[in-house]
Amino acid sequence: MRLWTRSGQGMLALPLVMLAGGCIQVRAPEKPIEINLNVKIQQEVVVRLQQDAKDLIDNNPELFPQ
Amino acid sequence: MTRLIRIIAPLAGLAAFAALGAAPAQAQDAVISAAKAAGTVGEQSDGYLGIKGSVSADVRQAVDALNIRRRAAYTDLASRRNATVQDVAAVTGCQTLASRVSQGQIYRIGNGDWQVKGAGPITLPDYCAAAGH
Repeated sequence: MRLWTRSGQGMLALPLVMLAGGCIQVRAPEKPIEINLNVKIQQEVVVRLQQDAKDLIDNNPELFPQ
Repeated sequence: MTRLIRIIAPLAGLAAFAALGAAPAQAQDAVISAAKAAGTVGEQSDGYLGIKGSVSADVRQAVDALNIRRRAAYTDLASRRNATVQDVAAVTGCQTLASRVSQGQIYRIGNGDWQVKGAGPITLPDYCAAAGH
């Protein structure tokens, strides 16, 4: 009888562990998000300047000998 | 006659100066092209030319002079687009690595080792991906 109760408690505990696991996972992405933000800022700069950079090379081929 | 000489002499001087100014730039390009073919000079992701190992004074001077001219162009563009010179140079670096390095020539990304371009495209830094290469 006691054994059955214990296993019942175990089954109740399982979703709690999963919930706790979910809480930990929420914290994990914090660092990668920071890194992505930095990359995004740089990519915005690239997007904003890429046509100017292309024009600079096209208009000054002597600066970029091959 | 003396008056004519007075007028012509400075003009001739100007023409000679212009020719002198143009000739070294062309000679420098030839020196750089030869060094690129020899694998001692290559494009860098920072938008400037770099030197691998030790080179002759001629090559070093040509690279320095060209990089100064590039920096002047980057500075001009940066001021017009309200950007930093470093960012303009790096975005241009994405373009030069993507389209102006021939197979067999050397290139360098960041502080990495010099690499020789193979048959395929160069793997560019992540931030270059936005440039659509």
